[in-house]
Amino acid sequence: MKILVLNSGSSSVKFQVIDTDLERMEAHRDQTLAVGSLEKIGLSDSRLVLRVPGREPHQAYREVLEHRAAIDWALALLTDPVIGVLSSVAEIGAVGHRVVHGGEAFASSVRFDAEVVAKIEECSVLAPLHNPPNLRGYHAAHAALPDVPHIAVFDTAFHQTMPAHAFLYGIPFQFYTRHHLRRYGFHGTSHRYVTFRACQVLGWQREDKRLISVHLGNGCSMAAVDHGKSVDTTMGFTPLEGLLMGTRCGDMDPAVVPWLMAIEELTLHQVNTMLNKHSGLQGVSGVSSDMREVLAARAKGYTRADVAFRMFCYRIRKYIGAYAAAMGGVDAVLFAGGIGENSPEVRAAATEGLEFMGLRLDPGRNGAIVGTEGEISVPDSAVKLLVVPTNEELTIARDVIRVLHGVMPTFEPPEMVS
Amino acid sequence: MNWELHDIAIVGGGMMGRSIAVKIAQQGIHVHLKELSEERVEACEADLAAELERAVQRFDSTEAEKRAVLSRIRWDTSFDCAQGCDLAIETVQEDAELKRGILSELDAVLPTTHPLVVNTSTLSITELAATCKNPERVVGMHFLYPVTQTRVVEVVRGQLTADAVFERAIAFARLLGKVPIKCFEMPGFVTTRVVLPMVNEAMHVVMEGVAEPADVDLAMKLGYDFRLGPLEWADRVGLDKVHNWLQHLHQETGEPRFRPCPLLKRLVRAGLLGAKTGRGFFTYGPDRKRLDRPNDDRPGLA
Repeated sequence: MKILVLNSGSSSVKFQVIDTDLERMEAHRDQTLAVGSLEKIGLSDSRLVLRVPGREPHQAYREVLEHRAAIDWALALLTDPVIGVLSSVAEIGAVGHRVVHGGEAFASSVRFDAEVVAKIEECSVLAPLHNPPNLRGYHAAHAALPDVPHIAVFDTAFHQTMPAHAFLYGIPFQFYTRHHLRRYGFHGTSHRYVTFRACQVLGWQREDKRLISVHLGNGCSMAAVDHGKSVDTTMGFTPLEGLLMGTRCGDMDPAVVPWLMAIEELTLHQVNTMLNKHSGLQGVSGVSSDMREVLAARAKGYTRADVAFRMFCYRIRKYIGAYAAAMGGVDAVLFAGGIGENSPEVRAAATEGLEFMGLRLDPGRNGAIVGTEGEISVPDSAVKLLVVPTNEELTIARDVIRVLHGVMPTFEPPEMVS
Repeated sequence: MNWELHDIAIVGGGMMGRSIAVKIAQQGIHVHLKELSEERVEACEADLAAELERAVQRFDSTEAEKRAVLSRIRWDTSFDCAQGCDLAIETVQEDAELKRGILSELDAVLPTTHPLVVNTSTLSITELAATCKNPERVVGMHFLYPVTQTRVVEVVRGQLTADAVFERAIAFARLLGKVPIKCFEMPGFVTTRVVLPMVNEAMHVVMEGVAEPADVDLAMKLGYDFRLGPLEWADRVGLDKVHNWLQHLHQETGEPRFRPCPLLKRLVRAGLLGAKTGRGFFTYGPDRKRLDRPNDDRPGLA
């Protein structure tokens, strides 16, 4: 079945057409027919780029003021006899939508209906920048393709299996009951894909293994996946917690926030922008939020780039130890995301000195695997190290198939002891 | 009604004009900023670049946002730049004659259905609109500085302002993420009218020798949780501006509570105009940073 996968942001829509079904999923033979992105929605010079494997990318500009116009334009290009990949929109069998926040309401991917929409709206208070445009994308796509099923796939759903002792914060309990304030975690679709795929490659059953998934992209997070279930993850109530990222600070003493606000007389907006957009690799190195540029500056002997790199890798190493402890051991550590897939330096520094717990990196393999799938540990390493290029869109397309066939797993939270 | 905002003209590239321009450009709307001459354009452009850089340093925005904002602001020296615009804002100094002239120019180039916004804190919208061919499309919006941060704007209805124009101005305020305060035309509207007597009174307190300026500000700031004390507030607005407002309100209303404090007059005559000249009630560096802030005015971190 040809599935349209949509990731709708406030001013952008990313889309893919993926051809898949149950057999192809099993054999990892799903086919991505087209990858597109439409940027600067709401402006007069919106840009659409469509990439079809084996062809030159197609670029076009026009005024696109809202999501409905964006989806219509994307569909027009996808069905264009020259540029497109579909003979008509009728070829699209279903639509999968990325939804950032499912709160505690969604522990699985689900088919859209009025109740689902209402619940996603309720979750908007937790993700005010993301859920509303996700919903706008759904409404637009539903108007354009009213007769096919639309499926919502949540970034947070996979982590709903976390136990309360991992997801609660040590602040008065009333904030959890009153505002659902807790750790949710993000990148769930990626961590799910990566752990699933690694087991497929290794010939393992995910349900038998303890895995640590390390997603290092623009945002960075790790997940401890114990016997197929996420039991902890580094991102929290928002994607600011945990690892050091391109421009986000990650873990920090929370008392820093009111202290800095007072002494520097910063407003809420300023302190929020500082932590989310001026920190991380960018803020520490002063060079760039891009790991490649930080590595280049470090190679030239720039001290702040070096310390930013070390902080980045040290925090990953610390969490590998923590998650091994949380699960009582670990069978494999998996690297994904732009940095995880492409930076042997980061992978080496992040796993350095962990031989005591059975992690033994093969420097040759590590250096050779850049942007591709493969093992990077020595053959007899007790803990396997793998690079697994992530594919969230593919997971969304597969979830569409799973939901339609009634085989979508639920990431049920464990009972909380009252 | 099919009315969308793609392009907005602003007349006057001073501090207020630039601040409004940035706020508008942040919403993805293109701004055409009109100044008097190429020299003025150059100077204002440099000031804007410096202000945006300061905003990045202050964590108000990021380098990428700064570039996006700059890419949406075009400078011009002719009123023709307003021709294709959906709305025009005048934001020159508080001078009725000058503002009237600008409104007439805008009235001539902008399509007759599009609103003309007057940014004023004290002047009469009705009086300013009177010489326009289409006075019903003139509406007041009193933006408060810094426009990128204050959450409020007074939307002011003149005697002849059309309902549709007033509603558009309110929609425009919401689009900028601001809370519109609807006012009928009266000198000073809400904000200026309420704040000026307090500021004036603070100056009287100093003049009478009741307390030192720093203590007056501390008392009000710490006592009533104001972000700035009344005297520093006046310094930052510009004492000449505060003086003009008071005088105008005094003339318009005849109320003695608006009579400018003699101390204020004296400072203005001496050219001590506040943060912009480095000295007013307090002293300031070239970056407008207050230099004589007392220790008690620093945050308590206990």
